[in-house]
Amino acid sequence: MANQAKTHKIKMMEEQLAKKLNRQVVGSLVGCVHCGMCDESCHYVLAFPDDHKMTPSYKADQVRKLFKANHDWTGSVFPWWVGADKVPLSDDDLETLKDIAFGTCTNCRRCTLSCPMGVDTATLNRIMRGLLSHVGVMPEGVRVVSKDQWEIGNQMGVLKEDYIDTIEWMSEELEEDLGHAEATIPMEKKGAKIMYCINPREVKYDPRTIKEAALIFWAAGEDWTMPDEGWDNTNFGLFSGDDGLGGACAKREYEKARELGVDKIVISECGHGFRSTRFEGVNWAGESEPVPMESSVMTMLNYVREGKIKVDPTKNPEKMTFHDSCNNARSGGFFEEPRELLNLVAMDFQEMYPNRAEGFCCTGGGGAMSMSEYTPRRLESAKIKADQIRATGAKVVVTSCHNCVDGLNDLIKHYKLDCEVKQLVNLVANALVLDEVEKPVEEVAVPEEITVKPVAEAEPLAGRKILVVDDEEDVRTFLITVFEDAGAEVISAADGNEAIAMAREHLPDLISLDLSMPGKDGVETFVELRSTAETEEIPVCVVTGHPEFRQVIYDRPVPPPEGYLGKPVDEDKLVAYASHILEHRNEKAN
Amino acid sequence: MVERKIGDKNLRLVREDITEMEVDAFVFDITEDVKLGSGFGAAIQQRGGIVIQKELDEIGGCPTGEAVVTEAGILKADWIIHANGPKFREEDEEGKLRKTVQSALARAEEKGVKRLAFPPMGTGLYQVPLDLCSRVMVKTISDHLAEGGTLEEVLIAAPDNREFDPFKAQIQEGA
Repeated sequence: MANQAKTHKIKMMEEQLAKKLNRQVVGSLVGCVHCGMCDESCHYVLAFPDDHKMTPSYKADQVRKLFKANHDWTGSVFPWWVGADKVPLSDDDLETLKDIAFGTCTNCRRCTLSCPMGVDTATLNRIMRGLLSHVGVMPEGVRVVSKDQWEIGNQMGVLKEDYIDTIEWMSEELEEDLGHAEATIPMEKKGAKIMYCINPREVKYDPRTIKEAALIFWAAGEDWTMPDEGWDNTNFGLFSGDDGLGGACAKREYEKARELGVDKIVISECGHGFRSTRFEGVNWAGESEPVPMESSVMTMLNYVREGKIKVDPTKNPEKMTFHDSCNNARSGGFFEEPRELLNLVAMDFQEMYPNRAEGFCCTGGGGAMSMSEYTPRRLESAKIKADQIRATGAKVVVTSCHNCVDGLNDLIKHYKLDCEVKQLVNLVANALVLDEVEKPVEEVAVPEEITVKPVAEAEPLAGRKILVVDDEEDVRTFLITVFEDAGAEVISAADGNEAIAMAREHLPDLISLDLSMPGKDGVETFVELRSTAETEEIPVCVVTGHPEFRQVIYDRPVPPPEGYLGKPVDEDKLVAYASHILEHRNEKAN
Repeated sequence: MVERKIGDKNLRLVREDITEMEVDAFVFDITEDVKLGSGFGAAIQQRGGIVIQKELDEIGGCPTGEAVVTEAGILKADWIIHANGPKFREEDEEGKLRKTVQSALARAEEKGVKRLAFPPMGTGLYQVPLDLCSRVMVKTISDHLAEGGTLEEVLIAAPDNREFDPFKAQIQEGA
């Protein structure tokens, strides 16, 4: 009876489900006895204790019902008992399922550890996401990111020329910082030992981590390279449940590594990237003899262990704690190595509790920030993590995952914690003792101290007109002062309407834009600037401390901003970003 | 080189980035609301300029199976043919894909295009099966080239082996 009323989409989902059934999945589908032991392991349940729809078993039951109705004898004999008479029938039902699968679970797999039956609820939730994505039912941000990764080759839609430009920028900075002509970032070097793959967030919004990794490779005398394609270690197929995308992304990395003839792929600090490249991607891509792969945490730790680099932990004296990425730790068994490295490069490490496999999710979820519509619920569920961090009294939360960096930054701001987030690459680079480095590969003269840029660049923004937009007077004053000190002519606006009017009238070279403003907010202002003929070409650097920034990145109503800086703003970083954006714009125009 | 000769015309498989190709026109798989969006759409906007979306906004929409044409801004191509292929396993995928490819070819002929590039239509995010897509596209394009017209060469741009291999098999099968 139910079959007669099913929509085409639901029939397609059922057809797809049949292809996903293997021993592990069926075990989880039939194993649940609804005992409730997993409930309190879930951060959503802890944040919404009276809402039964937040329980892991309820979420998994959404797939289970489809399975019981189509593949299990219990669905034929006792449909009312196993929920087989309550399968989705209409496309409206799919919208409800979308909210459950994408909006009430971060697939952190913490509930799995609590299950006496070994049910892997996150696997089932990922299958539901995959079934929905298969018929086009997904949050807009997931659609945008997936399409970018399918077609551009990375999940932030970074064009090849922009990637190369950013790597060259970091390479030039490294060379200038060290004053050594060989301290550069190799690109497409055939036969190198290591191919270094990164998270596109590093290219787009945090390129300093690339330079820091390059500094460490250089100090260790490593023979390494970055690829010009296949460089994205992330894989949105892991998040969206699209195994086809998962295989395509992973294969790009593996094939590039074989083309370059490297010994191994080193994956920068990204939990989602590590799990998908190192483990899951091998299966999705059908690799029989995968290229050796390791996390950059292992690479850095081995450099210290083997004496290839020297580190001074006193350079990182703050009290620090460590957040385990769910993908690295719970799903990857990567517990002790990051702690060993952290203890080698920092003075004061304080464990947070619970930790390792039992640590709570930061709510980044390996891609959850792409769904701005679920941000309030996500942040509410982050309370347990915020409490964990607060209890340590740490000033720095260290993590080995870019999604966790964003997730932790969001919750730190939301819960007003007095700390910042760093990755191990930041700490190792900061702790490096360059003048004591032994060079196993070649002898190179290392300067005793990193040199400072010459005075010629004291006014790098001379001749530029910059529009500063921020509703907070003290922030506005700070930004104006920094830009003026760098030689720029600065005009300012305190709200969106004023910003648009001033942009049209003055046609600045760059706009520094806050997103959280009363009245017309920064997102609306940004979209209007991008959609208006006179202002569409003006580069924009977003300066914000709030997660609504994700909306312009992931929902992408218009081309994304050229730069992003989180508040509080670092003065040097602000000027460096502004200079780079303007130089890059000039190069493109020419 | 993977190609099929059809009289004095040519169907060729290449590994290039379609938005950077030096052709008279290339095809973009657009949605009904004619928003360029992300993926190749983002590349078109960032490399070609916002004028392309503005022209699409004036056109207003494109039903499944149909195709509309805009100029290509500052891209190397002169025209972009925005064709709305089947998406997310919708009904009659094969019929709709054939009609979409035919519509795109017809728009190209109307503009006097000689070299046209297609992506594998819908085989990524939009979940069109690769075997179906390669079979229908190669057959439809080959049939069209056999009928004459201004088109001299049609290229299929498939950078990944995942897409390149099934198209190669289809093209070589009838070569």
